[in-house]
Amino acid sequence: MSDEKKINIVLAGQGNSGKSTVFNYLTGLHQHIGNWAGKTIEKREGTLFYKDYTIDVLDLPGIYSLTTYSEEEVISREHIIHQNPDCVINIIDSTNLERSLIFTLQLLELECPVILAVNMTDLAKKKGITINFKKLQGILNAPVVQTVASRGRGLTRIIDKVIELKGEKTGHKVHRYGKEIESCIRQLSELLKDFDLPYPVRWVAIKLLEKDNDISRFVRGMSPEALEKAGQLIENLEEIHGHDSAVVIADERSHTSSRITRETVKITSNRKLSINDRLDALTTQKSTGYLFMILILGGMFLSVFSFGNWLSGLLDSVFREWHAWWNLNLGTAFLSALGWSAVESVLALIQIAFPYILPFYVILYLLEDWGYIARISFLMDRLMHKMGIHGKGCISFIIGFGCNVPGCLSCRIMESKRERFITAVLVTLVPCSAVSVIVFGLVGKYVGIWWALGLYLFALAVIFIAGKISSRLLLGEPVELIMAMPDYKSPHLKTILYQTWDSLKEFVFIAAPIVIISGVVIQAINLAGWMPAISSFMSPVTVTWLGLPAITGILLIFGILRKELILVMLAAYLGTTSFSDVLTSQQMITLAIVSMFYIPCVATISVLWKEYGWKKAMAICVLEIGFAILLAGIVNRLLNFVF
Amino acid sequence: MNNRGNGTCLTDLEDGHTAIIISVMGGKMLTKRLADLGITSGTVVKVIRKTLFSGPVQVEVAGSRLVLGWGLASKIMVELK
Repeated sequence: MSDEKKINIVLAGQGNSGKSTVFNYLTGLHQHIGNWAGKTIEKREGTLFYKDYTIDVLDLPGIYSLTTYSEEEVISREHIIHQNPDCVINIIDSTNLERSLIFTLQLLELECPVILAVNMTDLAKKKGITINFKKLQGILNAPVVQTVASRGRGLTRIIDKVIELKGEKTGHKVHRYGKEIESCIRQLSELLKDFDLPYPVRWVAIKLLEKDNDISRFVRGMSPEALEKAGQLIENLEEIHGHDSAVVIADERSHTSSRITRETVKITSNRKLSINDRLDALTTQKSTGYLFMILILGGMFLSVFSFGNWLSGLLDSVFREWHAWWNLNLGTAFLSALGWSAVESVLALIQIAFPYILPFYVILYLLEDWGYIARISFLMDRLMHKMGIHGKGCISFIIGFGCNVPGCLSCRIMESKRERFITAVLVTLVPCSAVSVIVFGLVGKYVGIWWALGLYLFALAVIFIAGKISSRLLLGEPVELIMAMPDYKSPHLKTILYQTWDSLKEFVFIAAPIVIISGVVIQAINLAGWMPAISSFMSPVTVTWLGLPAITGILLIFGILRKELILVMLAAYLGTTSFSDVLTSQQMITLAIVSMFYIPCVATISVLWKEYGWKKAMAICVLEIGFAILLAGIVNRLLNFVF
Repeated sequence: MNNRGNGTCLTDLEDGHTAIIISVMGGKMLTKRLADLGITSGTVVKVIRKTLFSGPVQVEVAGSRLVLGWGLASKIMVELK
């Protein structure tokens, strides 16, 4: 294909601006989701075929600024500068023009071709916000298109605009700072203009004045004089303004955007409380907010688990027939049995993915799209802070109750590496749906439902204490919560389904390889007849310290694959499902506690490995094994006083 | 208790109060971060809601809502309008 017909565009914008909706609309099923080289940040790319053009679309992470505060911002900035896209489409939330424009101003400073997609204009209209688009276009000298992405409105107009502008020289108006800053920029540009910079000169000058680490380091190697000059100018600026120079510049940008907003936006506010305000009050007020949260989350878990148990049971009977067929036709010899264990691993993954994770994600994304998830972060921030992380971490915990794998993956929403890691470690301690099977199937059924619920409370207390300890041990300041509180809006089904599909795919791809390999290995050990030796080797721990039957050594090894296997294998080895004949209440509780904490399952370990490296993943496993054994042993001794 | 010197900070305000930001008493990173979000000296903020104990504060800035952690909100000095 000739280069004439190939176009590269980039979507940039803040979170909640409807960026993913635009991306999904444009690229449909031609998407590819991977990671940025060497980073754990998602890279979403897609292709659009339109009027004989092949348009590659890249969705940058949702960010608020182009500084070097977070990895996402650095990645976005570097991509725009070095990959030279034909056009950057800046998606803007029209109900939030002022804040969005601060980012737009920074984009324009990069001197790349920008088209503004002012999105959600239907919501703006509802809120009584009128935007003078022509004037906005005039002030920024960049094309402005109105869109309602959830209905696909205006999106083809953007692409038409992209094609129209292709190859044309852009002349956006770069916004001017105050006199002092402009004079500094001019002096620095003068020093820099003869160097062959890969960046726009004016932008480098601004970044030097903002004391941007990356750019300062870059300029030091090229022109030490410019860096020195920048130092003098900064000192001067800070003396005049009494503030850090970076803040002075950011302040000016912020003021410019509020000036532009004042000139282009008219608000005819209707004084009566909107539905959104009422709903917001109901769900975030001290008096009713927590009640609503418990109801909504309780309803979510209840419906997911009841649906999950139903579908899982159905699949189970189907898969059992397949196993019978396999044994009948392929025999039960070593190789055949090993082959079945590989098949079984895949089936087990399906049995978790569809009955539990799928509905879980659907409801979660529904709540997110509706605007409720941010409210949970708001309500839980205080409690989360005690564990050294902020309110957004709560979301990972909630997901972790369904399955630890997506729970650990969702830790990416945390801003700093430290908090990402703390949250992930804590999520591995959250009792997932497989652990619930053990807790309710063993303790709940035979010891009493209150004991089972008590174990849940116990787990929460353990997580809380573990959070307190890990936030002390891992150095670094906790990051404060800064989060946009979106308005409630009617959920958009297509967006929810796309997100669910992406997440489900990711779960399967990350988990499958390790689950299959370890499934085959453990089955091979079992078939080779080494299990009794292993269980007697482990008996000092299992029998002497924990007071459990020796057989549990084998169960705990199988449990690494999937925790509910502990219960399944128990039934298989003992030849009975009435566990009260073979285990005392005390043993059941001890076994449940070990199962809860002793190790994340292989699928979770593979996520930890991928996100944090094998050293940290192994460290978590070793620590948790030691901790679970210690804890369960102590509880076992304490239970002597009860039973 | 939350007063720094003789100023009022965002967390001292009651639900529904509107105020003008005088200064942000944080480090450079924090101040810049907030400025990128449109929160800087001279900005008008309205406290929508505070949570139990020392939880985060929900504010309205330039017509849209933000949630700020307590520690952060207590570093924003304001003057009641």
